Amino acid sequence: MSKHHIEVTINGRRHTADVEARISLSDLLRDNAGYTGVHVGCEHGVCGACTVIVDGLAVRSCLMLAVQANGAQITTVEGLAAEDGTLHPVQQALLEEHGLQCGFCTPGVVMTLAALTGNNAKPSEQQLLGALSGNVCRCTGYQGIRRAAKRLACAETGEHA
Amino acid sequence: MKPAPFDYVAPATIDEACAALADAGGGATVIAGGQTLMPLLNLRMSQPFIVVDINNIAELKGVSRTPGAIRVGAMLRQYEVLTHETLQRDLPVLVQAVQHIGHHQTRNRGTVGGSIALGEPAAELPATAVALNATIEARSVSGTRQISAADFYLGPYMNSLQPDELVTGISFPDWPRNHIPLFRELAQRPGDFALVGIVGALVIDAGKISRAGLAWFGMGPTPIKASTAERMLVGQTLESIDPQTIAEEAIADTAPFDDQHASAEYRRTVGKRIFASALRDALKAGETA
Amino acid sequence: MTAPGVKTEIGTGRYIGQRVRRKEDPRLLTGRGQFVDDISLPGMLHCAFVRSPIARGNILGIKTDIARDVPGVHAIYTQQDLAHFKADLLSFYLAAPDVEMTPLANGRVAYVGDPIAIVIADSRHSAEDAASLIEVDYADEDPVVTLADAARGAPVHPRTDNNIAAQMGEEEIDEELAAKLSSAPHLITHKVVHQRISQSPMETRGVVVSRDGPEELTLYITCQSPHLVARWLSLSLGLPEKAIRVIAKDVGGGFGLKNHPWKEELAVILAALKFGRPLKWIEDRYENLIGANQAREQEMTLQVAFDNDGRLIASHGDYSVNIGAYPQLPECNIAVHMFVWAAYKMPAYGFLTRGWYSNTVGYAAYRGPWAMESLIRETALDIAARRIGIDPIEIRRRNLVTLQDQPTTTCMEIPLEDITPAECLEKLLAHFDVDAFRKQQKTARDEGRYLGLGVAAYIEPTGAAGSIATMTGELAQVQIEPTGKVTAIMSTHSQGHGTATTMAQIFADRLGVRYEDVTVFEGDSSRGGFSPGAAGSRQGVIAGGAAIMAGDLLASKVKTLAAHLAETTVDAIRIEDGMVHVEGQPEKSRTLRQIAEIAYGEPDRLPPGFEPGLEAKYRYQPPPMTFASAANACVVEVDINTGFVKILRWISSEDCGTPINPSVVEGQIAGGLAQAIGMVLYEEMSFDDRGNPLAATYKDYMLPLISDIPTFEFLHANTPSKSVGGMRGVGEGGAIIGTPTLVNAIADALALFGEVPVDLPLTPAKLLSVIEGRDLVSPSLAPEAPAPMVAPIVTPTPAVQPASAPGKEIQIDGDWKMVLSTPVGPQEMTGHFETNGTALSGYLAAAEGQQSFTGIVDGNNLIFDLKVEKPLKITLKYNLTVEGNRISGKCKMGIFGSAKLTGHKL
Repeated sequence: MSKHHIEVTINGRRHTADVEARISLSDLLRDNAGYTGVHVGCEHGVCGACTVIVDGLAVRSCLMLAVQANGAQITTVEGLAAEDGTLHPVQQALLEEHGLQCGFCTPGVVMTLAALTGNNAKPSEQQLLGALSGNVCRCTGYQGIRRAAKRLACAETGEHA
Repeated sequence: MKPAPFDYVAPATIDEACAALADAGGGATVIAGGQTLMPLLNLRMSQPFIVVDINNIAELKGVSRTPGAIRVGAMLRQYEVLTHETLQRDLPVLVQAVQHIGHHQTRNRGTVGGSIALGEPAAELPATAVALNATIEARSVSGTRQISAADFYLGPYMNSLQPDELVTGISFPDWPRNHIPLFRELAQRPGDFALVGIVGALVIDAGKISRAGLAWFGMGPTPIKASTAERMLVGQTLESIDPQTIAEEAIADTAPFDDQHASAEYRRTVGKRIFASALRDALKAGETA
Repeated sequence: MTAPGVKTEIGTGRYIGQRVRRKEDPRLLTGRGQFVDDISLPGMLHCAFVRSPIARGNILGIKTDIARDVPGVHAIYTQQDLAHFKADLLSFYLAAPDVEMTPLANGRVAYVGDPIAIVIADSRHSAEDAASLIEVDYADEDPVVTLADAARGAPVHPRTDNNIAAQMGEEEIDEELAAKLSSAPHLITHKVVHQRISQSPMETRGVVVSRDGPEELTLYITCQSPHLVARWLSLSLGLPEKAIRVIAKDVGGGFGLKNHPWKEELAVILAALKFGRPLKWIEDRYENLIGANQAREQEMTLQVAFDNDGRLIASHGDYSVNIGAYPQLPECNIAVHMFVWAAYKMPAYGFLTRGWYSNTVGYAAYRGPWAMESLIRETALDIAARRIGIDPIEIRRRNLVTLQDQPTTTCMEIPLEDITPAECLEKLLAHFDVDAFRKQQKTARDEGRYLGLGVAAYIEPTGAAGSIATMTGELAQVQIEPTGKVTAIMSTHSQGHGTATTMAQIFADRLGVRYEDVTVFEGDSSRGGFSPGAAGSRQGVIAGGAAIMAGDLLASKVKTLAAHLAETTVDAIRIEDGMVHVEGQPEKSRTLRQIAEIAYGEPDRLPPGFEPGLEAKYRYQPPPMTFASAANACVVEVDINTGFVKILRWISSEDCGTPINPSVVEGQIAGGLAQAIGMVLYEEMSFDDRGNPLAATYKDYMLPLISDIPTFEFLHANTPSKSVGGMRGVGEGGAIIGTPTLVNAIADALALFGEVPVDLPLTPAKLLSVIEGRDLVSPSLAPEAPAPMVAPIVTPTPAVQPASAPGKEIQIDGDWKMVLSTPVGPQEMTGHFETNGTALSGYLAAAEGQQSFTGIVDGNNLIFDLKVEKPLKITLKYNLTVEGNRISGKCKMGIFGSAKLTGHKL
């Protein structure tokens, strides 16, 4: 089995590691880099809890090898709030709309919404809900998540755009 | 579960990739988007000696025009299809098909070539390639082969690639600008593989169908060309076509299977209906066009 | 015991009843939660299991030598290596199992996924590398997979007569009941088949265990109550409870799966005790789907007799549940029968209920484990309404117990005082215009669109405390720190329930402080007192009551001190927003911090006899039974070309008493309803005829997605209960009532095509079969003929045949060790018998005490009665037979039916 030296940027910080080829990006982020907010719910690419942003796009970190991320810019759920603790608009919307219960799927939901609403994108509610069909939540029945998506879609096409 | 150990190379050129495949003597697996391979690795259902990563090969990206065809590079990501102007204009059915693949997050990594090479029988892109008579371009150290999509699929996840061959691109023959795309899929939840699906395109000239390319997915061990329907449609005037009758005949081409999600008889029954309804909508679109 | 001087109605306060933001959310939203896989201890190693690929057979050999050479592997243990530990797989009732159960397979495997060996290695990757190299040889046997298999197949467990794990009720329908059923104007016989379900918490099971001393353990485990885990483990391992510290800060859902450890967790704990280094095992999703205990898989047939007006006359239920090989709940689900007609005016009910062993993974709780009662009753009522020709709402109106009907007692002798399902239904109907819908339905039908309306009503027992060993009251401990901040320690446990929020709302209200100034700690067995945490929709009711009581005790302490300092009476003191005011003397106002500093640091200024500091605690014991009620409606459209169902509208009208936080309440209901939708339309854990699970990933085990769940509309009744605070509990309800609501809507949409068999999930193929009147479900090719089942070795229990005269050789007098198989697990006792001619006297002694009786002897037959008060007042009628040194027979337990007793002479 081959080992590989990689260098990635996680939440704006440089991170280097020597990894076996078979290490997934999710395992790198959690076990090697300590970003335990990346949750592994299935490792089959279905539940979406491990979603992170790689070079601007929301992807399943369990479906990517760590070595493939060499050179990439990665954002995890730990990297969204401001240093003073001010929540990212996506986090704030989920907080206000009671969009989470146990919180295990939450990082994936947050990252999907953050990716779609980032860079001044103006996603429609339908686009957000469509993307959220890739995030399984077993607790909430999706009610608060849907309300948060609605609010983020409005905000992005409205005054915050 | 975690993958079994493997070696990994990420060549920068197609030639290097082909050399790596040749060196591995059949023990290599190619990773493109990885959205199907990674779960198989994680479940230890796939245990290659070496994984050849083609993500760094610039030659495999992009869309180009060749005489009489649009060539899609194997590493074109599925999300890129959705906003690609040429594809939206000239190959809208490919865009429709991609909209139904997996989820936003998997389309961001998943590739056209990966899905086509894998050949999941219920997946959208292999059927699209078969429907549109696409040609799959395979490279190895011994050269390049052009394999027609119809000959490419041998069974579930089985194709006619040699172990040292790499899919480098897919050429979709040109369809006139005014062709009518046709796509219908029945899946229980968004992103699920289809219980039943039909995909393709029709060309209408002076009130008659002049060209038809159609294929079923989720209706057999491979994507299945809807040859009977194509034959019955071509040359017919729009008014003379009874979608219901054609669907009844067309179903004979399929060989659906039983699984825990639906029986073969369910797939046949509903297959006819969605075929007829998709055809009806396409003809209506043809009339108004 | 209700504490004196407490108003039971708290209603709404500054915080109680408000939709405040959850305290848990900021850390969970920023990735700072602490789930079990986030724990890493120095020197920690990782575990993986070798699992059985066959459902049944003997293990002929296990070869581990190649695996041991894998780099990074430290140890490989099989059951032999762990056998010297005392380690019992106790049930949720803390009862020892009836059959042999070991953490790892003891020479025999009983389901696909049965753990055989545990590998300890530097990384999970290496552990799996080694596990894949362990060779196990099996002598494969034909498995017992389905309920039908269980009835006719060879016993799953050696040394048992058959596959019945638990049975209650009567095998023959009582003559009087049978006569009522057969002579009724309308008799509905309705069968429901409920598929097997994977609880599927998004966080799989997992444990990190550290042996801290000869008998000291620290355990990080994803669970529903750290206290229950500590208690379970101390009994299982025979270690002092306080030597075991269990920590579970954040838990990614439980839903009944995580009540207590099971085979894998116990194996990891034993391996850590043996190996001596901290070990981690995180279940992966594949393991979770095949190896974690599962739920439901039940079949029930309900007969219901109606008069010509659609009023209930009598009913009988026959229920079976497949509990797998090693169930956490080795039971026959008596609650199904207790509650099937509890909310309806049902004059007579009889039942037979059985739990069956099979070669499948074991049974555990899942949100509303008894939910079959509502599913079968509410769907039967709709079928009856169609059959008799009355409106489905009308049939409910005629039979539901209303507030005017109470107090009353159900046919299963449950006292009802204030249930409100009828009132919830009326509230629902005021909100949803049924007539308008029926018109719309007709118009749509003319256009070829098939709409359906489903309505269902139910009640749910919540907040149980005292009937089962593990279901207790709650302890609340609260203090005002010298800083003026309030901290509380609770034994509540959130797997998404938000108890750190709702309990803080209560403390803030009762103490007169700001919500922001209250912090609630939970999730650690070293703090607080015993409670089973999240189970049976109990936390709001019981912990809520405890928090109110403790909060009030503390508030009164503050007032006593403040009054003393201000030289006034307690009545003149008011606490508001952390300020302590004196009536009419604004200049004497003090901050809570000032009061607290005095309370802790200036003993000279305290009133005589005043205990320094500002601390209070209270253990609350709620009333024996509290009920939540609800009525739901949903509208669906079924595509008759495909059998696909689209949910168009859903309204929940519920009464959970005082809602501490309506957003939390609605979150619980919505989550339950989503799970109900999953059960009706998508989820299914099925097996092939060799016992291989057919859903090993989330591609095949289909959980509902955001697109599959509608926006729910909520109506709240908020009728206070008799518990302190008036809470009625919320949690399981949605999963119970949602299922029949949706099934009824689908059946209504398709009524023109005939009845929809309630065989969950209602897949498109099943519905299209109803629509077309032909089989679109079964495989088209006949499957290969299944291998013949092993000839049944079922030895019928010998019928009790009393001898005509007492024989001299029969030695009845003396002490007997006896085990009664009750619905809450086997109860051990000692029977002391003395005979005098045909007169019998003696006592039964168990851990709880001793009770005397008198009865008669008829040959070798002993007949006597015993009256008990708990959990209900019932008379136990024993009929036992002595044969040599063995005793066996039955105990009739009133409405609970009969239980089997076996024993031997001491």
